[in-house]
Amino acid sequence: MADTATTAGAGGSGTRSGSKQSTNPADNYHLARRRTLQVVVSSLLTEAGFESAEKASVETLTEMLQSCFNVDTLPAYAKRSQRMVITAPPVTNQPVTPKALTAGQNRPHPPHIPSHFPEFPDPHTYIKTPTYREPVSDYQVLREKAASQRRDVERALTRFMAKTGETQSLFKDDVSTFPLIAARPFTIPYLTALLPSELEMQQMEETDSSEQDEQTDTENLPLHISTDDSGAEKENTSVLQQNPSLSGSRNGEENVIDNPYLRPVKKPKIRRKK
Amino acid sequence: MIDTKVHNKNMAHGGVRNLNYFSNAYAAAVSAVDPDAGNGELCIKVPSELWKHVDELKVLKIHINFSLDQPKGGLHFVVPSVEGSMAERGAHVFSCGYQNSTRFWFPCVDSYSELCTWKLEFTVDAAMVAVSNGDLVETVYTHDMRKKTFHYMLTIPTAASNISLAIGPFEILVDPYMHEVTHFCLPQLLPLLKHTTSYLHEVFEFYEEILTCRYPYSCFKTVFIDEAYVEVAAYASMSIFSTNLLHSAMIIDETPLTRRCLAQSLAQQFFGCFISRMSWSDEWVLKGISGYIYGLWMKKTFGVNEYRHWIKEELDKIVAYELKTGGVLLHPIFGGGKEKDNPASHLHFSIKHPHTLSWEYYTMFQCKAHLVMRLIENRISMEFMLQVFNKLLSLASTASSQKFQSHMWSQMLVSTSGFLKSISNVSGKDIQPLIKQWVDQSGVVKFYGSFAFNRKRNVLELEIKQDYTSPGTQKYVGPLKVTVQELDGSFNHTLQIEENSLKHDIPCHSKSRRNKKKKIPLMNGEEVDMDLSAMDADSPLLWIRIDPDMSVLRKVEFEQADFMWQYQLRYERDVVAQQESILALEKFPTPASRLALTDILEQEQCFYRVRMSACFCLAKIANSMVSTWTGPPAMKSLFTRMFCCKTCPNIVKTNNFMSFQSYFLQKTMPVAMALLRDVHNLCPKEVLTFILDLIKYNDNRKNKFSDNYYRAEMIDALANSVTPAVSVNNEVRTLDNLNPDVRLILEEITRFLNMEKLLPSYRHTITVSCLRAIRVLQKNGHVPSDPALFKSYAEYGHFVDIRIAALEAVVDYTKVDRSYEELQWLLNMIQNDPVPYVRHKILNMLTKNPPFTKNMESPLCNEALVDQLWKLMNSGTSHDWRLRCGAVDLYFTLFGLSRPSCLPLPELGLVLNLKEKKAVLNPTIIPEAIAGNQEAAVNPSSHAQLVGFQNPEDDHLAKEASCNISAHQQGVKRKADTPLGSPLEPGQILEKNEDSSKVKLKIRFSNSQDEEEIDMDTVHDSQAFISHHLNMLERPSTPGLSKYRPASSRSALIPQHSSGCDGTPTTKPQWSMELARKGTGKEQSPLEMSMHPVATAPLSVFTKESTSSKHSDHHHHHHHEHKKKKKKHKHKHKHKHKHDSKDKDKEPFAFSSPASGSEISVNILILEMRKPLSSSFSHDQFPLIFISHSDLFLELL
Repeated sequence: MADTATTAGAGGSGTRSGSKQSTNPADNYHLARRRTLQVVVSSLLTEAGFESAEKASVETLTEMLQSCFNVDTLPAYAKRSQRMVITAPPVTNQPVTPKALTAGQNRPHPPHIPSHFPEFPDPHTYIKTPTYREPVSDYQVLREKAASQRRDVERALTRFMAKTGETQSLFKDDVSTFPLIAARPFTIPYLTALLPSELEMQQMEETDSSEQDEQTDTENLPLHISTDDSGAEKENTSVLQQNPSLSGSRNGEENVIDNPYLRPVKKPKIRRKK
Repeated sequence: MIDTKVHNKNMAHGGVRNLNYFSNAYAAAVSAVDPDAGNGELCIKVPSELWKHVDELKVLKIHINFSLDQPKGGLHFVVPSVEGSMAERGAHVFSCGYQNSTRFWFPCVDSYSELCTWKLEFTVDAAMVAVSNGDLVETVYTHDMRKKTFHYMLTIPTAASNISLAIGPFEILVDPYMHEVTHFCLPQLLPLLKHTTSYLHEVFEFYEEILTCRYPYSCFKTVFIDEAYVEVAAYASMSIFSTNLLHSAMIIDETPLTRRCLAQSLAQQFFGCFISRMSWSDEWVLKGISGYIYGLWMKKTFGVNEYRHWIKEELDKIVAYELKTGGVLLHPIFGGGKEKDNPASHLHFSIKHPHTLSWEYYTMFQCKAHLVMRLIENRISMEFMLQVFNKLLSLASTASSQKFQSHMWSQMLVSTSGFLKSISNVSGKDIQPLIKQWVDQSGVVKFYGSFAFNRKRNVLELEIKQDYTSPGTQKYVGPLKVTVQELDGSFNHTLQIEENSLKHDIPCHSKSRRNKKKKIPLMNGEEVDMDLSAMDADSPLLWIRIDPDMSVLRKVEFEQADFMWQYQLRYERDVVAQQESILALEKFPTPASRLALTDILEQEQCFYRVRMSACFCLAKIANSMVSTWTGPPAMKSLFTRMFCCKTCPNIVKTNNFMSFQSYFLQKTMPVAMALLRDVHNLCPKEVLTFILDLIKYNDNRKNKFSDNYYRAEMIDALANSVTPAVSVNNEVRTLDNLNPDVRLILEEITRFLNMEKLLPSYRHTITVSCLRAIRVLQKNGHVPSDPALFKSYAEYGHFVDIRIAALEAVVDYTKVDRSYEELQWLLNMIQNDPVPYVRHKILNMLTKNPPFTKNMESPLCNEALVDQLWKLMNSGTSHDWRLRCGAVDLYFTLFGLSRPSCLPLPELGLVLNLKEKKAVLNPTIIPEAIAGNQEAAVNPSSHAQLVGFQNPEDDHLAKEASCNISAHQQGVKRKADTPLGSPLEPGQILEKNEDSSKVKLKIRFSNSQDEEEIDMDTVHDSQAFISHHLNMLERPSTPGLSKYRPASSRSALIPQHSSGCDGTPTTKPQWSMELARKGTGKEQSPLEMSMHPVATAPLSVFTKESTSSKHSDHHHHHHHEHKKKKKKHKHKHKHKHKHDSKDKDKEPFAFSSPASGSEISVNILILEMRKPLSSSFSHDQFPLIFISHSDLFLELL
């Protein structure tokens, strides 16, 4: 099976023909990767002045490269002066750029980028071109538009829902003009009734998220302090602790509050000694 | 006695299904088991062997093992039918009820005046939290680690009626300001809970400050649950709220309402829970004080305007109710107990007991109580008032700490006389006349005032008349304040209202100073410029107000000229005066009134509620002036100026509700505008377009607050604009002949209603408004009248607000279309809906909007309906007092007090009855001895469901109950479907029967020859049933309380725990009166009892203790020495889905939720009920009174 694969691959990519096309794309990938790494190691060795290397040592170096690859130092290393350029893997079919659409001169590759890499995009793609279409400054039109847009969306949406689901009608002779989505009972009706919808949640976050956060945070910090200080006295005080301090993380602090509902549940044996 | 009987017999033949008869019987039945009077259903006979222990003042312990199986009342289970464990489903249970209803879920002395300390244990699923009264001492796992037990300790003596419980998979929030306060809500609602309760500490602070008293309990818990019985229920150290009170920070309208509920419940913690009441007739003090301090909180929180507005609202409500029904009596005293002395003979129910009251009456009762408290404050000053409260609280808290001197605890009970004594001690003032007028007597005052200005004498001749002959009125004698605003200023005059003085001369100050252009001083010292051109040139009077401080419970109809009302509206600073003038101006549709109202509307300093009512008044005036009205429709330009864009006046600004005043005005104005009508009595096209535009351009994206209430009101506005369709030849309503305006409206409603399915609004306010609007369209003939849509929205599973709105529409449909089918559908729902509140509400709505009334011909009014309702009152509602009283209200509205007119002629009924039931009805079948001696045992049938069905003898029995003492009562034995001939295994719990609806109706008697089944569903059978009992009573073998079971068979049940009770099948006569005496000391006498959920349990048994008993006298002096006496009640609740009839002592107590498969386990253990202490209590009566709403099984083991 591998043999047939080799012959098949030979026609396509010259030097990379060594990479056998395995049935498994993952294997294929690993093979190719390993081969490339070996080429890299070999070229580095050549750069360092070696003329030949034993296969075993190349393998070892490849392993090392694979396992201790430091990305941070890579750019500096890539820009070293006497580096060796590895020959480009031949590309099956070069993407043909439609000439008509090119504009201006593409930026050349900096020296450390091999030339066989794709070219930079056309210069115009780097340009921010603010377009000033005739702005709709008329408030009335804007509101009008927003209103009718929303209305159209709502109508389309509800009609769609009505068409696809069960409906109720106010007129016996007509079910399509005013289709009402059928009333469906909820298993837990209060949840939908009380919790803000996602849309509202979003709005709420936008409008006053900061305030909310402060509130939840203040809840816990004062508890921390007061429980630490007063200990036994606590039960008797019903004095309100208004503590304006902010921040403090949520987790774990409630455990510090001496509230019977927060105490851990006891193991049964304590109870059984009646 | 025979005479009475005969009389009754005749009465009853004509009188069955007569509400008067029912009410008497019901009141008698409730009296018969009234815990305050030492009565009850479960009476435990102290065996004679133990009497000497009693004499030695030894402790007797009684164990009552009982199980509660699928209770219909008392506890409410909410079990959503979704996948998952009980905790995941959000299943929960809570105790509920109206007034003292704790006995519905465990046996107790269910009286507010019997205090004891409590230890409570609840074993629940490990994922659940059990919240109850007092301090949570510890939480312990069970051995299998699957459950945990919550141990509560309540050391403050508390009445059983103030004990509560809530179990569920609650989320727990410790109040960030007060760590001893814990809040609980259902899963997922924690963010809402945080926001909702974030304000509570301020309420605490306020009350503690004004009362100069700490919150009496060491902790406080709030629990928010679904399907609440009432929005707010206060119990000792915890309050149970409806989960629907929770809201996020985006919601405006709900916020003040919820805060009010929180404040209300907290006020009741002080007065109602901590301080309890001596008896029902002292209830007004507690309700009054808690309502009054709640009012003070309102004043401080929402301002004086809001407070005064609220007082005025409450005053109007109580006045309207009293005038309608004939009076609310705060402090009923029942001396002779004769029917003639009945202080509430104008009512169709008895006011002797909380449980016979109409719900509406009770609401009004509370309203009046706090108003009267305010009157007392007016009289003695707030400072003294608060001192009195402080005194009550300090005495109570001193008493509560006396752990071993329980007789001190009576200080924790408030009585009318004690309260009045405190007032006189503290203030030194005699408020007796005030009390006599408003507390000991019902009725309000109705003043008619008019005046003339006598120019020569420069005197205001004021005439004040009273109507004190109409129902609900009373004559007022005493001081009355009148405020006269003159050109020179505002002057108060106190007139003395006396018997025959109608006219009062009030000297005026200013003469002709109108030429001097001077500012006019107002009452508050402010000086204003007024345009005086409108006023009468000869008179210096600007306006006159009678009783401006609302210091009389009254209605004032005062006549003054339109310009005076206009001045009053513009310049009087009191919101109540403004409100009154707005109301008066409706009758003066003139351009001047219009101008005054518009000015008020625009005035931003003016109280927003006044401005809101000005909107509606303006709409009315505009309609009256329609032919002369000039300019755009009323309020349109005003609205445009205030809320629309400057550049494009037809487009409303994007919503910004930061200013609540403007928000409320913005919401209200379109609703009022939609009421405008043109000359053809149609809503002007311009107005409709305007409202449609508001809806179209509504944009809430930049708003910090939700606009759900605003949008809902826009739909209300659309509904208000609808006028009756012009119908040609009664054509059928189809889409083709739909009015184009209505088409537009329908379009909006459809879209809104559909959008609600995708993006639901808070509390579904929009759906609610849409449903109402659709009903309006139906009613006006634009859309075919059809209840189907509403019925689908009324189903269980929709949010409760939606259901109520839908049901309201069905009720309306029933009335308008006289639909028998819908009425049946509603009645069915009243009986079967899972949510008690909804059932109550349907009855309430049917009463408010009845399909017909007593004097009306209606095809719906027929015998079957009478039977149905009669049955509902009698047996269908036995588990819920509120529901039963609601059914009575409806019956009253439909048929009146006397025999419903649709029934066949009484004579015929008599004949038929006699023919069929002669043997039964014939009073001679009851031997005199029994009638005299034993009938009380039969009947006092606590449960009026039986009483109602019963024949005349029964009525008689019920009445006689209070003076008859059964000679043999000893133990209750009531059970269903258990052949008595075959004794049960010891400790056996009767098995829940699958076909419960039938079971409850069968009662078998071993000593009846043929084990006859009695079906309570029909009158005839119930009569047979009664006679049966009467027959049985003749048998001497009938043991005391367990009269349904011969002594022999009963003792067969008691082999094991024999020491306690079984040895006393025969009783010494003198003890027969003290059945429920006390438990046994060393010996236990466990009673096994199970409450069966079936509704119609037609029988209940009670014993009436005689206070004249020798023994009770004998022991009375020992009473206070009984300090250390303890009663140990051990109740275990254990839920098991499958009720194993063989299961016994280990897990004797079972709750099971109505949903099958539910597994909330509950364990209740109540230890150490201390000795009760009320002075009326003599220890001969064992303070264990138990009334079950349903079948009660009691086994003596």
